[in-house]
Amino acid sequence: MNSWGAYRKLFMLGATSALLLGIPAAATAHASSATAGTGWIRLAHLSPNTPAVDVYLYSFGNSNAMIVLHHVAYGTVSPYESVQAGDYSVAMRAAGASASSQPVLSTSVTIAAGHAYTVAGMGPESGLRLQVLEDELTTPPGQARVRVIQASLKQQVVNVTLGSTVLASNLKFANVTSYQTVSPGTETVTVSSSGGNAKSSVTLAAGTVHTLVVLDGASGLEVVNLEDASGSGKPPLGGVSTGFGGTVPHGPGSPVPWLVAIGAGSLLALTGGLRLRRGRQLHAGV
Amino acid sequence: MPTRRPAAALALAVGLVVIAGGTAGLLLTRHSTPAMRPVAAGVAALPAPTGPIVAPPQSAAPKPVASPVLLTIPLIGVQTQLVTLGLTAAGELQVPSSTSVAGWYTGSPRPGAIGSAVIVGHIDSLSGPGVFYRLSELAAGDKIYVKRADGTLVEFRVTSIQTYLKDRFPTEDVYGPVPDPELRLITCGGAFDAATGHYLSNIVVYATAVS
Repeated sequence: MNSWGAYRKLFMLGATSALLLGIPAAATAHASSATAGTGWIRLAHLSPNTPAVDVYLYSFGNSNAMIVLHHVAYGTVSPYESVQAGDYSVAMRAAGASASSQPVLSTSVTIAAGHAYTVAGMGPESGLRLQVLEDELTTPPGQARVRVIQASLKQQVVNVTLGSTVLASNLKFANVTSYQTVSPGTETVTVSSSGGNAKSSVTLAAGTVHTLVVLDGASGLEVVNLEDASGSGKPPLGGVSTGFGGTVPHGPGSPVPWLVAIGAGSLLALTGGLRLRRGRQLHAGV
Repeated sequence: MPTRRPAAALALAVGLVVIAGGTAGLLLTRHSTPAMRPVAAGVAALPAPTGPIVAPPQSAAPKPVASPVLLTIPLIGVQTQLVTLGLTAAGELQVPSSTSVAGWYTGSPRPGAIGSAVIVGHIDSLSGPGVFYRLSELAAGDKIYVKRADGTLVEFRVTSIQTYLKDRFPTEDVYGPVPDPELRLITCGGAFDAATGHYLSNIVVYATAVS
């Protein structure tokens, strides 16, 4: 039931973000890893009142876990793991539970080559679900991309601004915005809610993709700035001139000038030779 | 006519010399000059460098990594200081002024930080091999090490090697964002256009940091 629910949510989220962006999801594929047939996945615990869990990643149909993360507490986001494209399942068990025990929660995720995903435990403990988010891997040249995950249970509705740019308005608990393009730089993120505000300074460099996660802190709200991906802020134009040709084998030159020289030489020698001979004959005759 | 004899003899002699010269030239040009080869492969293999290997950063609050200073690729005998490279006025990637050192593009992430770090080196100079002459010999799984200014070391493994025509260079693949610590090594390759003095292609080695 749970995994189906999460799956449907995933489908709807994917469909919505594709509509919002007006581009097919495939447009964010990263071709170099696509060539290698790999994609990326990271795992997160973003359910405020759910105790720490062990998170398992399985290649679909294989009961031996590829990756196990132990004692993953609320607010934890793993680094990305590079994996072969294909179908996987993610399971959560209570921290310390046997690997063979029935998971509390599981979901399946299809990893496409060149794409990156975040699988996060989201919502309140009573309605915990594993949500699959597709993460972006492109920026317009010289720009940054950023989205917001609202994972605060204490302040269930928040507004988030970056400087004067609105990143999220009335974003409800356990929801995620689409990525939006912002100018690079260091700016103040302000999270405002009926229960108070939180401010944090974040640096979003050109050519980077970020997810800001709003969390319940020890007191008040916290903002965690995740770097989803990073590249060259100013991609160089075209190819690179890194050779002068000193190791290039030189092919045989044209034989034509040499053949012409031999021909001319032969003509000259022949003419000279004939004249010499005729001269001798004339002498002999006299 | 005795006056004609010296002229005829001279013509014969010059003709024979020209024939000899032409034949020699013809024979010489039939042999193509071989490409300059660096020292034998066996001699060039280097030991892996030593230093504390630092795990790739967590995506949340990653520690900043130090600037790269040294690149080692044991399999192909590369050990080079890294110079820093920016962009030319035309927006193209600068290349090292020496063909015997490689350079890191400072507009790309630092090697070992999240993202696609870019290191560039020459395949050759006008007279012989450059620092990345043997880059095309690398294959998936081969090791690459980058030492940083603080003495830490990051190890990469080659994931793929590609050759692209320069006029179809895949900017997004090479320079675009990636979610894990990766490295791109770039040099020239493919056919050499003697008319322009440039290679027509770039060779790009893709590598990922070992966790």
